[in-house]
Amino acid sequence: MCGVDYLGSYRLLGLLLILGAAFFTVAFTANRLLSRRAPSAGKNATYECGIDPVGGDWAQAQVRYYVYAYLYVLFAVESVFLFPWAVTYALDGFGMVTVVEMAIFVAVLALGLLYAWRKRVLSWT
Amino acid sequence: MNLAESPKLEDFGHDVWWIILIKVVGIFAFLVVMTLFTIWYERKVVGRMQHRPGPNRVGPIGLLQSLADGLKLAFKEDIMPKLADKAVFFIAPVISTVCAFTAFSIMPLGGMVSIFGERTPLQLTDLPVAVLLVLACGGLGIYGIVLGGWASGSTYPLLGGLRSAAQMISYEVAMGLSIVAVFMTAGSMSTSEIVAAQANGSQQEIFGSTVTLPGWYFLMLLPSFLIYFISAVGETNRAPFDLPEAESELVGGFHTEYSSLKFALFFLAEYINMVTVSALCTTLFLGGWRAPAPITTWWAGANEGWWPLLWFTVKVLILLFVFVWLRGTLPRLRYDQFMRFGWKVLVPINLVWILLVAGVRVAANADNTVRYAIYGGFAVLLVGIIMFWPAKKQVEPASIAPEKLPEGSFPIPPMDLVVPPSPRTKRIEHAAAAPSATPEQGE
Amino acid sequence: MSTVLALAGEVTTGEAATFYILAPIALIGAIGMVWARNAVHSALFLVLTMLSLGVFYILQAGPFIGMVQIIVYTGAIMMLFLFVLMLIGRDASDSLIETLRGQRTVALLLGIGFAGLLCTGLGRAVGSMTSVGLDEANAAGNTQGIARDLFTKYVFAFEVTSALLITAAVGAMLLAHVEKVKAEKVTQLEMMRARFAPGNYPAPKPGPGVFAATNSVAAPGLLPDRTVAGRSLSALVPTRELTEAEAAPKGTEK
Repeated sequence: MCGVDYLGSYRLLGLLLILGAAFFTVAFTANRLLSRRAPSAGKNATYECGIDPVGGDWAQAQVRYYVYAYLYVLFAVESVFLFPWAVTYALDGFGMVTVVEMAIFVAVLALGLLYAWRKRVLSWT
Repeated sequence: MNLAESPKLEDFGHDVWWIILIKVVGIFAFLVVMTLFTIWYERKVVGRMQHRPGPNRVGPIGLLQSLADGLKLAFKEDIMPKLADKAVFFIAPVISTVCAFTAFSIMPLGGMVSIFGERTPLQLTDLPVAVLLVLACGGLGIYGIVLGGWASGSTYPLLGGLRSAAQMISYEVAMGLSIVAVFMTAGSMSTSEIVAAQANGSQQEIFGSTVTLPGWYFLMLLPSFLIYFISAVGETNRAPFDLPEAESELVGGFHTEYSSLKFALFFLAEYINMVTVSALCTTLFLGGWRAPAPITTWWAGANEGWWPLLWFTVKVLILLFVFVWLRGTLPRLRYDQFMRFGWKVLVPINLVWILLVAGVRVAANADNTVRYAIYGGFAVLLVGIIMFWPAKKQVEPASIAPEKLPEGSFPIPPMDLVVPPSPRTKRIEHAAAAPSATPEQGE
Repeated sequence: MSTVLALAGEVTTGEAATFYILAPIALIGAIGMVWARNAVHSALFLVLTMLSLGVFYILQAGPFIGMVQIIVYTGAIMMLFLFVLMLIGRDASDSLIETLRGQRTVALLLGIGFAGLLCTGLGRAVGSMTSVGLDEANAAGNTQGIARDLFTKYVFAFEVTSALLITAAVGAMLLAHVEKVKAEKVTQLEMMRARFAPGNYPAPKPGPGVFAATNSVAAPGLLPDRTVAGRSLSALVPTRELTEAEAAPKGTEK
C-alpha cells in the first residue's frame, strides 16, 4: 500500500486537463493568427434579428427557474446518499434494515415533493 | 466466458509515462474523430430519412464534409460582442469542452491489451467512483451553457441559457437516479467492474423459481435503461428535447452571440456529450465492450486484444443512430410538457423502481415470512397508489353560443356562423336530376 | 474492492505538488469571491474554491466525498446561486460607499485576528498529531466505509437530514411560488372578449403611405417638412449617396 498507486488513477485525469489546456492554447492562438479580421461596429452589436437592438441586454428571469434549481439541490443530495447505499445494501451486515432506512429517507423526500406537487409548484405557469 | 482479460481496479494507475501519453492523445483523437464522424453520420442518416442524399461532395461519400466545415468554422473571424462580459464569454465554451472531454476518460473501451509489449487496460483510467465523475462533469458542463448565455449580454442567449440549464439539471437528476439501480446490481461504481459484472448471466430467483437472466443490464433493469436513455436525450439538448435551441423562439439559444472557434467548441462539446452518454449507456446497460452473445458462442477470441474496441464503437454508433432517428422523427416538445415529464414521471417512477429492486433483491435472500411481508407491502402500496390516483378532471368544452358583446365593440362575425349552401352544388344537383323537374328548380 | 490507498502520515511528491498548486488557487478563489464587484464573478470564484476543495478531498484518500463536493457544492448549490443572481440582474454590482466610517479597517483587523486565532489553535491541536486509521477506514473501499458508518452508526442523523432537506426545500419553493387564485386565471374566451371590447382596436395599425418609393433600410424616413428623420437611420448601415449613373433610370421600367 503506497500513495503513488492510489493517486495514479487521478494523475491521469490531471494530465488530461493539462493536455486540454494545451489544446485550447494552441487552438485559440491558431485562430488568432490565421483568421481574417474585419472588425466593424455592426458585428459587435447585440444580435436582434436584423433590427437595431433597443434597450438593455438583461431580461429578468422568471422565478420558476429558481424552483427547479432548488429541486436539483434537493435531489442531488438525495442521490449522493443513494449512491453509497446502492453499492453496499446487498453486502453482509446490511440488508433488510438498510433498505427500510432508505425507504424512509426516500418517503420523507417524496412526501415533500408530493406537497409541492399538490400546491402546484411543479406546474409551469 | 473467459474473464481473465478483464481489468481489475488495481490494474489502473501504474502505466509507464509514454503509455499514459499515448492513451491521453488516443482519447482526444477518438473523441474528435467520433465527433466529426457523428456529424457526418447524422446528416447522412437524416438526409436518407428525408429522401435526399446528404453531404456527398467532400471526400468519399462526403466523409470529410464535417472536417472541412469544422476547419472553416475554427478559423473564422472571432467576434466579441460589445456588451459581453469578456472573461466569462471566453471561459464558457472552454468549461463545456473540458467537462465533455474529462467525462469520457473513464469509459472502458476494451479489456487488457498490449501496447508495444506493455500490458495495460484499454481505458484511460478507472476510479472506484468513476460513474460519479461523469455526473460531476455533467453538472459542471451546465456552467458552460449558463455562463455562455449570461455573458453574451443579450436577451435571447440569456433566456436560452436559463432554459437549457433548467432542462439539464432536471434531466441530470433523472439520469443520476436511473444509474442507482445499476450500482445496486453491480455493487460497484467503477466502470470496468460494472462491465465485468455484466459478463455472465445472473441467477435470479423470481417468485420462487430460478431463471438465468442475460448479463446485460438493459434487460434486467429495463425501466432504468429507458429512463437513462430519455434523460440522456434531455441532458444533451437533442431533439425532441432541443428546446434551448428552439430556433423559432430563441434564435440560437445560448450560443446566439458565439462565432468562430468558441462556437465550434460548444458544438464539439455537444457532440462529445452525445458520444459520452451513449458510451456510458453502453457501459452501464449494454455489456460495455463485450461482444454480443451470438458472436462469443462461435468465436471465443472475440473479447480478446483490440477487438473489444470494435464492439464498443459499434454499440455506441447504434445508440447514436437512435439519437438521430429521434431527431428525424419527433417534433419538439413544449417546455412545460417537457418539465412535467421529467419531474412528475421520470423521477417518481425512478424512486419507486429503486426501492422495488432493493426489496426484491433483499427478499430473494430473506426467509419466507420476510419475503411475503415485502411482497405484501408492495401490493398494498400498489393498491394504494391506484386507489388514490387523482381522477382526471372533466373539462367542459367552452361554449361558443352567440353572445351579446357590449355596445361599441369591434365588429366580429357571429360565432355560430353556418356556411350557406353553395349555388354551384345546386347547379350540379340540377344537372344530375335534369330529366325530372324538382321543386328546387322553382326557387 | 480493495483500492490501494494512501499510506497514513506520508505525503508523496505528487500529493504535495498538487496541494501547492491548488492551495493558492483555492485562496485566490476565496479572495476573488470577496473582491469581485460583479455578483456572478463572485459566484464563479467560489466555484473555483469549491472545486479545489473537492480535489483536496480526493487527494486525502476520500474520493467519494471529493466527488460529492463537486456534484453537490460545485454543481447544484452554486447553480442555485447563479439562478438567483440572474433573477437579480446583470448590473447589480456592489456599491463601494462605506456606510459606517472606518468599518473596513476594523473588519480587516478583526479578520486577521480571527484567522490568527484559528491558525494557532488548529496548529497546536493537530500540528504534532500523527494520523492513524486511514487504511482501516478505507479497507473495504472508501464508499463502502462511508456507507457502513452512515447506515449503522449515524442512521438517525441520516434520517433527520431528509426531514431537514425537505423542510428547507418546500419552504423555499412555496416562498417563490405564488398560488394563483381561480378567479385570476384568464381563459381564452375572456381574453378574446377583452380584445374586442370597446376602446381596444384589434386590427393592425395603418401601414406607411402608399407613395413610399423604397422600403430599403438605408432610405431615411422623412418628416412632414421633407427633412430627414435622424432616428430612422440605422447606426450600423453606412449612408451612401448614389452616383449619377446609379440614380439614372435603368430603362427597365416601361
